[in-house]
Amino acid sequence: MEFEFDEDQQLLQRLVRETVTKSRSLPEDQLWNTYQELGWLEAPPVELAIVLEELGYVADPTPFLASSTWFAPLAGRLPRGSGTGVFDGAGRFVLDADRADEIALLTGDGVVVVDGADLDPQRVDIFDATLHVAHVQAPDLVRDVPDLALMGLAITTVGSCRRILDLVVGHVRQRVQFGRPIGSFQAVKHKAADMYVAIERARALAYFSALTIAEDDPRRTRAASMAKAAAGECQRLCFQDGYQLFGAMGYTWENELQIHLKRAKAGDLLLGTAAEHRKALLR
Amino acid sequence: MRLTSESDAEVEEFRAEFSAFIDANVPGAAEAVPASQSTADVPPWAADWQRKLFDAGWLLPGNPPEFGGRNATLPQQLAHLEELSRRRINHSFNPQGLGIIAASILTFGTEEQKHRWAVPILRAEMTAALGMSEPEAGSDLASLRTRAVLDGEHFTVNGQKVWTSGAHDADVLLTFVRTDPDAPKHKGISVLLIPTDTEGVVRKPFGCLTDPDDLDFNEVFFTDVKVPRENLVGPLNGGWGVAHGSLGHERTLLWLHYAERLEDLIQDAPCAEEWYATLQMDFQALKLLGYRQLGEDRNEAELSVLKLFGSEAVRSAALCALEARGADGLVHPELTGPLNHMGMPSFTASWFERYARSFGGTIAGGTSEIQRNIIAERILGLPR
Repeated sequence: MEFEFDEDQQLLQRLVRETVTKSRSLPEDQLWNTYQELGWLEAPPVELAIVLEELGYVADPTPFLASSTWFAPLAGRLPRGSGTGVFDGAGRFVLDADRADEIALLTGDGVVVVDGADLDPQRVDIFDATLHVAHVQAPDLVRDVPDLALMGLAITTVGSCRRILDLVVGHVRQRVQFGRPIGSFQAVKHKAADMYVAIERARALAYFSALTIAEDDPRRTRAASMAKAAAGECQRLCFQDGYQLFGAMGYTWENELQIHLKRAKAGDLLLGTAAEHRKALLR
Repeated sequence: MRLTSESDAEVEEFRAEFSAFIDANVPGAAEAVPASQSTADVPPWAADWQRKLFDAGWLLPGNPPEFGGRNATLPQQLAHLEELSRRRINHSFNPQGLGIIAASILTFGTEEQKHRWAVPILRAEMTAALGMSEPEAGSDLASLRTRAVLDGEHFTVNGQKVWTSGAHDADVLLTFVRTDPDAPKHKGISVLLIPTDTEGVVRKPFGCLTDPDDLDFNEVFFTDVKVPRENLVGPLNGGWGVAHGSLGHERTLLWLHYAERLEDLIQDAPCAEEWYATLQMDFQALKLLGYRQLGEDRNEAELSVLKLFGSEAVRSAALCALEARGADGLVHPELTGPLNHMGMPSFTASWFERYARSFGGTIAGGTSEIQRNIIAERILGLPR
C-alpha cells in the first residue's frame, strides 16, 4: 500500500490551506461560493478528507461537511444548494438540517429527497453556537450511518485537534513562569507530545477510512468505525490537556481555543462516541 | 495514497519465495534442542538455521549477498519481517548482534572489520552484545565514563557497563568508551570491539523480575583491558555518530517489533471488551504510520512517534490482557500462546510475564519519557 499523499494530493492540501487562511474573514455565503467554485464538494473520498481536515482546522462555518458527507452518500448526488442527510432512524441532531436546501431521508422505502423547508426542522440550542444541528420529523426513518459521514466527522475532528495543539504549542512557548517558557517543562512537553501522537493515530485511521471508501474495500465499515473512535479518543485527550495547558486563559470567551474545543467535543458526540464505535468493532 | 501499489505483485512474489524457503528449511521442534537461554546464546541448531538464511540471502535481504542479503527494496524487507512475524519465527537468536552490532560494523567499519567481525556474527559463528549503558549513564548516555586510553597500538579500557543483554554468552562486546575526557561529552566517545575472553573482562549476569534464573542482563567490568587499535569502529572520538547510526538502523523498522507484539495479543487474547477494539485500532494505526515512514524525506524524529506509540500500545494491551483474566492471571508459568520453538519462549510464559516484559519497549532504547522530549522539542519546537 502507499500511505503518503501523491503530488496532486499534496498540491490540493497546499491550495486548501492557502484558501482557508486567506478567506478566514469572509462571510459564510462567500466562503460557500468559493468552495463550490473550487469544486471541493465533488472531491473523491481521500481528497475530500484533505479538504475536511483543513476546514476542521479553521472551524468552517458553512454546511460543507453535511452537504458532502451526510447528503451526498444518501442521495448519490450533490445537493442543489446545501444539503444534509437523515440516517439515524430518528431524525435527531441532524447537522445543518435547519439551513439545508435539500434533505435526504433514509426510509424503509429507500432514500427520499425533500426540500428542507418542507420538513420545518427545529434548530437545537447546543454548547457550540456556531454549529447548526436540528431535529427533523419524518415517517418511516431507518438507521444506517454512511461510512463517508463517519469518516468526514472523524477527519474534521482531527483538524480541530490539530488546531488545539497548535494553539497550545504557541501558548506554552511564549508564556513565561518561574523565569522560563512553560513549554520547557517536561510535564508540559509530555502532554503536548501525547496529543501529537493521538492526532497522528487518529489522522492515519481517518485517511485509511477514506481510502477504503474510495476503493470500496471490504474493510470500509470497520475502518470508518475505527476512524470515528480514534478521532473521539484524540479529542478527549486534546480537549482535556489542551485546555489544562492554557490555564485559566482557556476558560475565557475571548480565547480562540474555546471554538475548537467545542467543535472537537461535538465531533465526538455526534454519530456515536468513541466508546460506541469501539463496541461496534467488537460485533 | 492507494491500498495497493505497483510494486505489490513484485513484493508478493518475493514473500512467496521466502515463505517457500522457510517451509523447506525451518527446524522442527524435535531438532530445536537445547533452547536458547539468552539473547546471545545461539545453540548449534539455531546457528545452522541462521547460516542457511545467510547463505541463501534471506537473513537480512536488504544487504548485498556477501552480507547475507539480496539487495532487496524496503517494501521487500518489510514483507520479509512480516512473514517471520506472522509465523513467529526468529531469524536470529542473537538479535542485537544482527540488528545493531553487525549493522553498525557494516555502516561504520573498515572492509577488514566487516569480514573479521560482521560476517561471523551474521553467520552465527560469533555472538555479540552491546555495551552502552552504565550505572550512571542510562537515558543520559553521552555522560558514559568507561575510559579508554590509546597508547601506541592498544587502548587500555577501565570501567563498567550494565544491562548488557546476553554479555555472558557473547563472544564480543561493541563497547562505547570515553577516549577524550576533556572534549564536550558527545565529542569524546569512541566505539571498540572487545572480545569477551580478553584478560580483565568480567561478566556478571543477574536475574530479571520474573525469574532469578532467567539470565540475560549483565554487569560487565573492565580492568586494564588491552584492546588492539584496529578494533576501533568508526572515527576516534566519533562514537556518538555510531551510537546514533546503530540505533537508527534498529529504529527504522523497530515499529514492526511492536506491531508483532500487538498482533500476537490480537491472536492470543480475543474477547468482547473495549480494550480489544483499541488493540485492533492501535495495530492498524501503527502499521499505517510505519508504512508512511518508509517514504522519502521523513523527519527522523517521527521514529520517536512510532516507538512511543508502539511500545505504549503493547504495554497497555498486555496489561488489559492480564486484567481480563482476573485471578486466573496469577498463574505462572502458563502457556498463553501457541507453543513455539522458533520464537522467544518468554512471550508465552504467562500473562503476567508478557505484561512485565512489555516494559522492555517503553524503557530500553530510549524511554518513553525521552521519546516525548524528542517529539516535543524536534517536532513541536518546544524549548529545551
